[in-house]
Amino acid sequence: MKGHYFLASVVLLLVVGLAAWQQDRTPQPIAITPTLTGQVEYCLTCHADIPEISQSHPVATFGCVLCHGGESLALTADLAHSSMRGGANPSDLSVVEASCGGEMCHSGTPQVERDHIQRVTSSLQATYAGAIAQVRYAFGAQKDLTARMGIFAIDGLAAFDPSLENSPALMIFASNCLSCHLSAEPMDGQEYSRWTGCSACHSPAPHTDETQVHKLTTSIAYMQCNTCHNRGNYSLADLQFHQREDAPTDRLHDYYQPIADFTRCEWTLDCEDCHTRQEVMGDGHIYSSKKDIQYIRCNTCHGTLDALPLTHTITDENDLALRLAFLNPVIDLKVGDSILMTDEGEPLWNIRVIAGESGSAPAYELYSKASGQRYTFNPVLGSTCQQQADQQEARYCHECHATER
Amino acid sequence: MSYTLAAGGLAVFLALVVGFTGILVTFFYIPTPDQAAKSVQELTFLVPFGWLVRNLHYWSAQLLILVAALHLLRVVFTGAYLPPRRLNYLLGVSLLVICLLLDFSGYVLRWDEGVHWALVAGTNLVRTIPGIGEGLYSTLVGGSQIGATTLIRFYAWHLFGLTLLVIIIGVWHIFRVRRDGGIAVPPPERRDNTARIPRKELRRKEGLAMLWTGAVLVGLAILVPAPLAPAISEGAVSAKETLAPWFFLWVQQLLRMGDPFVFGVIVPFGTLLVLALVPYFTPQRLKHNELGRWFPRGGRNVQILVACLSGAIIVLTLLASLQGIQPAG
Repeated sequence: MKGHYFLASVVLLLVVGLAAWQQDRTPQPIAITPTLTGQVEYCLTCHADIPEISQSHPVATFGCVLCHGGESLALTADLAHSSMRGGANPSDLSVVEASCGGEMCHSGTPQVERDHIQRVTSSLQATYAGAIAQVRYAFGAQKDLTARMGIFAIDGLAAFDPSLENSPALMIFASNCLSCHLSAEPMDGQEYSRWTGCSACHSPAPHTDETQVHKLTTSIAYMQCNTCHNRGNYSLADLQFHQREDAPTDRLHDYYQPIADFTRCEWTLDCEDCHTRQEVMGDGHIYSSKKDIQYIRCNTCHGTLDALPLTHTITDENDLALRLAFLNPVIDLKVGDSILMTDEGEPLWNIRVIAGESGSAPAYELYSKASGQRYTFNPVLGSTCQQQADQQEARYCHECHATER
Repeated sequence: MSYTLAAGGLAVFLALVVGFTGILVTFFYIPTPDQAAKSVQELTFLVPFGWLVRNLHYWSAQLLILVAALHLLRVVFTGAYLPPRRLNYLLGVSLLVICLLLDFSGYVLRWDEGVHWALVAGTNLVRTIPGIGEGLYSTLVGGSQIGATTLIRFYAWHLFGLTLLVIIIGVWHIFRVRRDGGIAVPPPERRDNTARIPRKELRRKEGLAMLWTGAVLVGLAILVPAPLAPAISEGAVSAKETLAPWFFLWVQQLLRMGDPFVFGVIVPFGTLLVLALVPYFTPQRLKHNELGRWFPRGGRNVQILVACLSGAIIVLTLLASLQGIQPAG
């Protein structure tokens, strides 16, 4: 009996000792109380090594949970991560309103330029409404090219449901050709690798070895756009995606579709140096085709034989151009500077008017949003260009300025 | 001890552990919908040894149900439910029922996604009772739908109502054991060893059983943490079906068979009623030589009945856990 007692006591002491050891090896919790929520969270206990996502989202202000969701007090990975929004990507469009929305964040009003979510979710990149309309028209499912359906239902568009379509081709289209919109998981391969939602453009692509970079940026190199826009073609003939077969080694040949002509600025700069927020992220209206919203032309920056490009002088500290330059400080923009402006009134905040030679037309400097490199250029006005006023499409410029490939 | 399985004594020990750890948990638990799950997480992850206290509370409660059920089976299979112990048998059955309710209310107090379905389904069962269902439901949840009042009612029942009942009936139950002449033992002439167990020896044996149980409890508390899930999100109207707590898995499986009133209310309560009426299905007293033996012939019908009921509950429980969570719709 004494032996039993001794054994049971030793075992009990052992397990109690084990409990103390378990407590001892529990990591010391690291707490932060973000100023926006005022609620303590302990994510940094395990994630202290993750860099701040952007200077606009300091962790001391936002913390982690406001954007990512998750259980703020849990110290086991399973529980802590169980209620995260969108897994590793809270910007997925299915959860973006909860993660990035809010009046003071990215679902405010157009007047204060904070309606990003409304604009993106109605944009062609998200709804794919243009392609869906074109293909439905091609297979007789609708009588014109007007967008009526999107990847998801949104004000002005019904959800595209291939099971309700009569043409079997539309079923094939749905299974083979819907891999490029903002909610679609990318195809396999590093060249296609990207996130969904906002992060498709604003975060570096995840690597195939699943390493990721915690970053949100408006400095977006052409390679990011290439994950969708330069990897091959969808064919209407066989309703398949045909992967690009060439393996270009230089920028000129890597750039965009290998069939077209491009002027130097088109393949030297990055896509976002010319294409504006409204073109890429939408302006809140439903469009049926890319060409209806893509309005930047050569003359936006270079003007015409008769007119200089539109400019805008910054007079207010709160000017949108200054806010955008703050997000991606490639240019030391300040009140009093003049920048170029589009026909729609969007600031081309990375292009500043600089004084030209004495008495001549002004010159402009452009800072690449992705590399920060400075370029200078002159307007057409005052040059030897012979282009006619009614010939402003790119093809007329390409006649003289295209690069042979 | 090999005859009684020491289940009754262990139940008392486990009840004391549940009570003591429960008091400790009370210092940290916040019974409001937005703070409940958070306070449980805080206790588990941030309070030194909080995880141990909570896991001990959980595991001693689960073992208590098991040990109490085992105790009940021992009593049935040794004929110890018969007069003069008929009243004490009923007290014992009611203690088991109260323990189940305590366990369920404690489970609900987590107030996280893991308990949401069982809470909604369990309380909705009450609604199916014709006539009084709606009234009972609003009494139980404190209004027309589950919310802050539900949590505070479950909290009050868990801490006060049910706990007081368990203490009163538990003490009465133990007192009746003594009043009924101790445990049901064979008559003196049929015992191998007629000497009473010395008090010192009994204390040692009970002490030893407690030491081992304590070691098992702490071991379980280290190895298998009590379940936790994300907090119930605001405005969540429909709860995703999850597995019910293990002691109600058999009811969850029954519910899959058809009408919730029949399978969720009538059948479980019928089972309970049959169990409670067991002392009335058998001759008033066992024959002299059948006393204090396992499986006395005189109680055969009751043994078969309870064995079938227990078997059915075990099979249903296994089926439910094997089947896992049914996809919705």
